[in-house]
Amino acid sequence: MPRKPIFFDILRISIHQVIMQRRRYLGVILAVALGTAGFIVIITMGTDVKKDLNRDLDLLGGATLIRAYLDAGHKYSKIQQFQPETVDALRALPGIEAVSEIVSRPAVSSSVQKGRVGFSFVGADGSFWDVNSFTPIKGSFFNAEDVSQKRRVCVLGSDLALRIFGDADPVGRTCWIENEQYRVKGVLGGVAVGDLIGFAFIPITTAQEYIPGLPPPQKIYIRCTSWDDVKKVADAIPDVVHRHQLTDSLRIEVRWEELKRVQSMAWWVELFVYFATVATLILGGFGIWNGMMATVKTRKAEIGLKKAIGAEDRDILAQFLVEAVCLSFTSALLGGVLGRGAMEIGSYLLKSRPHDTLFFVCVGMALLFSLALGAGAGLYPSLRASRMEVLNAIRDE
Amino acid sequence: MNSNSSYGYENISLIQVEGLTHTYDNGTGPVVVLQGVRLGIQMGEMVAIMGPSGSGKSTLLSILGLLMIPTAGSYTVLGRDVLKFDRSSQASFRRTYAGFVFQRCNLVDTCSVYENLEFPLIYAGVKRSERPAKIQDALARVNMTHRLHHRANQLSGGEQQRVAIARALVNSPLIVLADEPTGQLDRMHGELVMDHFEQILSDKDKAVLIVTHDPHVASRCTRVCLLEDGVLKPN
Repeated sequence: MPRKPIFFDILRISIHQVIMQRRRYLGVILAVALGTAGFIVIITMGTDVKKDLNRDLDLLGGATLIRAYLDAGHKYSKIQQFQPETVDALRALPGIEAVSEIVSRPAVSSSVQKGRVGFSFVGADGSFWDVNSFTPIKGSFFNAEDVSQKRRVCVLGSDLALRIFGDADPVGRTCWIENEQYRVKGVLGGVAVGDLIGFAFIPITTAQEYIPGLPPPQKIYIRCTSWDDVKKVADAIPDVVHRHQLTDSLRIEVRWEELKRVQSMAWWVELFVYFATVATLILGGFGIWNGMMATVKTRKAEIGLKKAIGAEDRDILAQFLVEAVCLSFTSALLGGVLGRGAMEIGSYLLKSRPHDTLFFVCVGMALLFSLALGAGAGLYPSLRASRMEVLNAIRDE
Repeated sequence: MNSNSSYGYENISLIQVEGLTHTYDNGTGPVVVLQGVRLGIQMGEMVAIMGPSGSGKSTLLSILGLLMIPTAGSYTVLGRDVLKFDRSSQASFRRTYAGFVFQRCNLVDTCSVYENLEFPLIYAGVKRSERPAKIQDALARVNMTHRLHHRANQLSGGEQQRVAIARALVNSPLIVLADEPTGQLDRMHGELVMDHFEQILSDKDKAVLIVTHDPHVASRCTRVCLLEDGVLKPN
């Protein structure tokens, strides 16, 4: 006569056994839990870490910075400029973190006590600093409000500040540019700035108002979210520009070589981290396998006894398999909790927070993986337990 | 189906063994453990198998419980040739017709008395709602209801053996097979266990087969058989 299904009883027995033998399984549970937590952190925080790393690496090469400009070709061609709707459309492209428009003019001058100092100047918007990952070495940069209010403020390159003000602190002092007064808000410097230490920066709107003979905005800087976005964005720019304005002089500059190097380095780092995570999980799997083998060995009497009182091979197989799965599932749940904790800490440190949906998707994936891991690692020990001869099992005890 | 006195098999042979032979190879040649054993057990009987160590007592008991298959011979239970059973049917036989009491390793230490008695019911597919009554009933027969929720390793040896008897009875088997059930107990607890076996026989449709060294245990059985060098002789 066919027997009624007993799966839920088997499940209950298995969970009970895992609880009873929890000390034996502690190491395995921790290994799988740490692997799972690592997986969750990599997936949830990976984008933010990459973004952060990307920004740091950019100080060395600007691999995610794209320069687009309208090059008139030769001096008799009509000067072209980026239209505001073109810039807005570029800002809306996916994979773009910030866009900055600039105007520039070489050979302007500032009067100082000893005479006049010649330099180049850049009229920039409030995003310019973020796009270029610049930080002030003194004071602060002008912002979007300064730009919209056309304030007469400026930021000086450190070298230019030295030439104009000597050793005195320039912040808050007045500086003359093309016979107009500007208040110095901050000083730009550092290794990543390059020859911009000799430049003066003023809000683009102010420049257009007060600097005579200034060309229209012909150059924009585009900062991509990560290096993975650079190619997509670079490919999309011509389409966007041509959809919004007529021009035949668009030029795009990408530092492909630096980008390739950075991507290669990041790929290796990523590979290493994934490898470490997978290795931890596989080790956890071996731990489960080993733990279950030891369990089967030490619980021969129980196996024999259960068979003697009527358990079929498949009942024993199911019990030990479910025990292994319970073990890995519990580990993955614990890993989820640890992963959440690590994610919270990471979010605090990186000052960015991944979406909760991503976290729950990761936990779901980890739980599914743990089921497969438990079943895979527990299969052989469970088969051994189920095929054990009753008498051998009891006598062995 | 398994309610007391409902089998309707009284006075018919419950177990019939003919020409049972078992040999194994120990590497130097075949060793004969059982040789042409002939045994019949009726319902209501308590049969003791005695004999020196190594005479094949436990092997005979294991064969009767389908824990192992003999090399030759026939074995029928209620007229059915059980030696033709596959592994699944053997397990089904053990959970339906036979109840085992071993000398040692009778209970799962990490489980409670209730859980130990629940195992045979689970494997027999008994509904969860029906289990408590059956467990209480079986425990009441060995006066152990007060230990229902104690862990097996919290019980004394005698108590463990009584719980093992209760477990052997919980599915109302036709035959209880006991291998040295009093071997590790003192005289008083041994007597108590034998009292319980005698009580089992109050159900006329059951039988008990006990393998023992102890003449006192044998003296309380309805029949004693002597097994010497694999040959069974009526005492």
